[in-house]
Amino acid sequence: MNLRGMIWLALEGLLRKKGRNFLTTSGVFIGVFALTLIVSLGQGLSHAVTSTVSGTDNLRQVGLTGGFGIELSNDPAEIEIPGEMDEARRERLRRAAVNRRQIRQVAGRRANAIDDKTIAELSKLPHIESIQPVIVERYEMKLNGHDSPATLSYGVDVGRKRYADRVIAGSYFSGPGAPEAIVHEYLLYKWGMLTDGDYTKVIGQTVKLKTIQTELTPEQQAPPMLQEFMRDLSEEERKAMQTLLPKLLKQFGQSSQRRAAEREFTVVGVLREQMPGDPFNVIEDGNAVQADLFLPLETARELFLASAVNVELGYPRALVTVTDAEFAPEVEQTLRDKGYTAFSVASALKQIESVLLMITVSISFLTGIALIVSTLGIVNTMITSVIERTREIGIFKAVGATNAQVMTVFLCESAMIGLVGGLLGLALAALAMIPGDLLAVQLINEKAAIPFDQPVFVLPLWLMIAGPALGTGTAIVAAILPARRAARIDPVKALRHD
Amino acid sequence: MTLVVARDLWREYSQGGVAALAGVSVDIAQGEFVALLGRSGSGKSTLLNLLGGLDRPTRGSITVQGRDLATMSARELSLYRRSTVGFIFQSFNLVPTLPAWENVALPLVFQGIPREQRKRAALEMLDRVGLGARGHHRPSQMSGGEQQRVAIARALANRPQLLLCDEPTGNLDSNTSAQIMALIDDAHKAGAALVMVTHDPELARIHASRTIRMADGRIAEPVEVA
Repeated sequence: MNLRGMIWLALEGLLRKKGRNFLTTSGVFIGVFALTLIVSLGQGLSHAVTSTVSGTDNLRQVGLTGGFGIELSNDPAEIEIPGEMDEARRERLRRAAVNRRQIRQVAGRRANAIDDKTIAELSKLPHIESIQPVIVERYEMKLNGHDSPATLSYGVDVGRKRYADRVIAGSYFSGPGAPEAIVHEYLLYKWGMLTDGDYTKVIGQTVKLKTIQTELTPEQQAPPMLQEFMRDLSEEERKAMQTLLPKLLKQFGQSSQRRAAEREFTVVGVLREQMPGDPFNVIEDGNAVQADLFLPLETARELFLASAVNVELGYPRALVTVTDAEFAPEVEQTLRDKGYTAFSVASALKQIESVLLMITVSISFLTGIALIVSTLGIVNTMITSVIERTREIGIFKAVGATNAQVMTVFLCESAMIGLVGGLLGLALAALAMIPGDLLAVQLINEKAAIPFDQPVFVLPLWLMIAGPALGTGTAIVAAILPARRAARIDPVKALRHD
Repeated sequence: MTLVVARDLWREYSQGGVAALAGVSVDIAQGEFVALLGRSGSGKSTLLNLLGGLDRPTRGSITVQGRDLATMSARELSLYRRSTVGFIFQSFNLVPTLPAWENVALPLVFQGIPREQRKRAALEMLDRVGLGARGHHRPSQMSGGEQQRVAIARALANRPQLLLCDEPTGNLDSNTSAQIMALIDDAHKAGAALVMVTHDPELARIHASRTIRMADGRIAEPVEVA
C-alpha cells in the first residue's frame, strides 16, 4: 500500500506542531459539533412528532367534513368580469367577487352533505378500506334519577379494541347495534359517585336519551328548495317572506318534522379517561375526548337518523380509512377535489416534517459558516506548513517522490486535522445530548400538557458517519491549493532553502 | 558500456540571462568515477542536477539507458530519480525530525515498501556505513561525519546505478572526509557510476577515474578517458 507511507509522513509532520494543529482542528471540531447537534435535534423532533401519532391507525385515517362545493372557486383568475373597463377596475371587481364568495361560503349551507348515499359512492374510490359516519351528538340523559340536560355522546366502532381496553367496570358492547351504553367515569363523578367502586351501581341500569329540541328560525325550518328560492329575493321580498313563512310551514305541517326522538339503553360498562400511552387516533378519537356517553356506532347512528333534520343535513363528519398510509394524502386530495373538506394526519405530518427540515437545513447553513471559517484556518496552517517544510519537500523529491505523492502527504495531513476535529465534534455532540435531552424534556413537560419522555436529540448512524466525513472533506478541500503549491516546488531551489 | 550520454546541454535562467551551462557534452560509462572540478559558479552543480533529473536542460539531451531526461514528464523524472539515482549533498539534507533509520528509509517510502521491510533495509544500510547502533538517533544528536554517513546510506538505499555527490566532504574536517570518501569508494566499487562535484583537485586525483574541469558553464579541457 503506497498510501500508508504518505499517511505516516503526514502524521509525523502533524505531530511536529501539535499546538498549532490542535488549534486548527478546533475550528473543524466546533463546526462538526454544532452541525451534529442541530441535525440531531431536527431528527429527534421529527421522530418525536412521528412516533407520537404513528401508532394505531393514525396515518391511515382521513377526516371528512361536508364541503361547500368546488363550483365556488376562490381563484381570481377563474372569475370572469365582462365589460369594457380599465384593467385596474376589473382587478378590483375580481377581488370583490372573491371576497363576497368567501363570505357566502361561511354563511351558506354545505353543498356536499355526507349521508349514506354519498358514503356508498365515495367508498368506491380507490385505496379506501372503509368510510364510517362520525356521530357526536348531545342528548338529554336520564339515569337512575340523575338528569343531564346535554350529555355529549359518541358512537364507538365496536371493532376497535381501544375502547374495550378502557372499560374499568362491567363489560364492553356485545355488538355493533346492541341497545347498550357505556358511561364515562367523569360523568359518574360529577353525579356524586366519589368512592371507588360506586360506579358498579350503574351497571345494568337503564339510560334514557332524548333529542334536544333546538329553536330553529322559520327560515332554517324551510325545505331546502324554499331556502334556495329565498336567497335570491330582494330585501323587501325577503321581509315579506319571513312573516309569511311560519304560516306556510304550519299549513304544510313542516314543523312536525322536528319531533324529538327518544330511546332507552342498558348501561353495560364504565369507561375510564384516556391516558397518555393509550393508543389514540387523532382524527377518530379526537371527536370523543369530551364525550360522557358511548354507544355502539350502529345504535348511535339509528338514534341520530331518528331525527328528521339529521336525515336531511346528513352526518357532520365521516372517518375514511385507507388501505395503506401512503395513500392517505392522495385520498385526501381526491376528496377535496370532490368538494369536501378533508384532513389527514399523514399530510399534516408531512408539512410538519418539511417545516422541521427547512429549519434544520437553514440553521445548518449558519453552522456551516463555522466550517467555512475553519477552512480558512486550515488553508493558513497548511500554507505555513508547506513553507516551513520547503527543504524537506526538496529532499522528498530528490529521493524519488512524485508530485502526486508530495501532494498526497499534505492532503493526508489536512484530512487528519479534519478527521480528528470531526470525531471530537461528534463525540462531544453525543455527550452534550445527554444533558440536552434531560433539559429539553424538562422544559417541554413544564410547558406542555401531555407528558413527554421522548429523546429530543436523535443521532442516526448516517450522521455519525456524515459529521466526521464532512469535517474531513472540508479539510481536504481546504488543503488542495497548499498541497498543489507543495507539489510544484522546484527541488533544486528547495534543497538550497534554509 | 555508456550509462549517460549528454549532448550540448544548455541551462539558462530567464530569457537571455546568464547561461549556467553553455553547451556541455559528456559521456559517463557504467562503473566510472567522474570528478567535476571547478570554481563556484562554473556550472558543475547545475550539470549534476541535470544528470540527477532534479532539473531540466533548456537545450540539449541527456540520455540515460536509452531515455532522454530532457523530454521526460515530471512524474517520469521522479521515477528516474527513485530507481536510478542517489544524491549526496554537502549539507547532508537530512529531515531533522526523523531518526536516522527513517531518513535512510525515505526513498523506500515513496516506492511503497512496507514499514517493517523499510526498517530492516535501513538498519542494514546504516550498519554498512558503521552506524548500526545509531539508527534511532536524530540528526541533531550526530556529528557532521555521522550525518553524512546517514545521507550515504540513504543514497544507497534504492541501489542506484548513478551516485551523484555534491561536495560531499565540503563541511567536514580532513579526518572525517577520509572516512566519508572511503565509503563513497566502497559504493563505487560495488558497481555504481559516480559523479562527484568538488573544488579540491587533490580529492579528484586520488579517487576519480576521470576529471572534468569546468569554467563558465563549459568543459574547460578535453575529456581524458582513464
